[in-house]
Amino acid sequence: MSSLVIHAEALSKSYHHFQVLRDLSFELEAGVCYALFGPNGAGKTTLLKILATVHRPSGGRLMIMGKDVVADRDAVRGRLFLVAHGSHLYDELNAVENLRFAMGLRGLAPSDRDIKLALDRVGVGAFADLKSRYFSAGMKKRLAIAKALLARPPLLLLDEAYSSLDEKGIALVNQVIREATGAGTAVFMTTHDRAKVADVARRAGVLRQGALHELPLTALTGTHELF
Amino acid sequence: MSFFSAIRWIIWKDLLSELRSRENFSSMLFFALAVILIFSFSFSTDQEAVRELIAGVIWVAFGFTAIIGLGKSFAVELQNDCLEALQINPIPKGAIYLGKLLANVIFIFSVELLLLPLFVIFFNLDILEKLPVLLVIMIGGTLGLSALGTLFSALTVQIRAREVMLPILLLPMAVPVFIGAVEATRGLLGGAPFAFYRPWIDLLLVFDVIFIVVSFWVIDFVLDA
Repeated sequence: MSSLVIHAEALSKSYHHFQVLRDLSFELEAGVCYALFGPNGAGKTTLLKILATVHRPSGGRLMIMGKDVVADRDAVRGRLFLVAHGSHLYDELNAVENLRFAMGLRGLAPSDRDIKLALDRVGVGAFADLKSRYFSAGMKKRLAIAKALLARPPLLLLDEAYSSLDEKGIALVNQVIREATGAGTAVFMTTHDRAKVADVARRAGVLRQGALHELPLTALTGTHELF
Repeated sequence: MSFFSAIRWIIWKDLLSELRSRENFSSMLFFALAVILIFSFSFSTDQEAVRELIAGVIWVAFGFTAIIGLGKSFAVELQNDCLEALQINPIPKGAIYLGKLLANVIFIFSVELLLLPLFVIFFNLDILEKLPVLLVIMIGGTLGLSALGTLFSALTVQIRAREVMLPILLLPMAVPVFIGAVEATRGLLGGAPFAFYRPWIDLLLVFDVIFIVVSFWVIDFVLDA
């Protein structure tokens, strides 16, 4: 069985007459973390949202685990999980209820113990009964990561994974990525912080004027400008 | 993922959120109370006018109260980009529609049940014997309004002027529901024989089915557009 999780061919995206992405072709294998860089407005989030099936590509072909993202959207959606910039949390539900609801819609029914373990793991176990409206941005990000832990998807998409997080939170994200890739999950993430992602990324790329350029891993530890 | 399980999760989430915030409930109740009070002062000395117009007054209160609730149905999903999460969940979009629809029906019907005693008090109505049929008409009317309102709430959620657009789209389309509900209620409260106003109840239920089927059919396009 092929270990290819993402296969993109001549992918493009335009909003009206503005072309955000042009002719993107790349592949991502299972168990690999890919870090995507680019200046503001380069199209990182757009690409991530195309991978997450939020947006449709304007052209080209995108297969996720052998399924076409346009023709076979629902099958693709069951195989990925997006930790987005928005927390995807309901303010009136507490942490446990938010996790139960998110997993329920994925057809999963985690036990009380699994939920407690996930909340403890991301460091919000003490706030399990607190409505998420009272959570700080960092705590919301941690709760979103707890959802990803419970979902265990073959493809994990992280948008600005380190934003709002403190040092422990950043270490937690990297640990989660290490464990996920170790278990065969492909991770595709956007970030601005190459030093933080250098520990976990096995591939990296930069979006410049809508085109994707593969970066050597040494670029992550260097100090020269990426774009 | 079970279709019915997804519906249950959506209903659970929507009702629990509303029970805790009571945002919609308060505004709906205040609006309906204002309508009832204004009409009750207008008709205070004219029982003949009350008999003639009470069905319309009831459905003006119910209809516009429902619009307040329906407007928030999908708008609450904009918070924290929850709509995005709903869209990319591996569940049929029809399950999201039916879950939202049923949560709206339960919620709006509960508000209507609270308003009913106020109509009895302010308009001196005798509805005890007519209550079972009145409840059927109320459920039929609420279902029709919610079926359309839930669809239009999804359709307008991403546009800036959604609060204005929802009633503009909903009210003309809901005319058959209002006609059926008002005529059936007028026949019932006026003491007409059941056979006299039954066709209006039938009309109401037929439009309920049409609106639900059509909305269920197009919701996939609306939510993914």
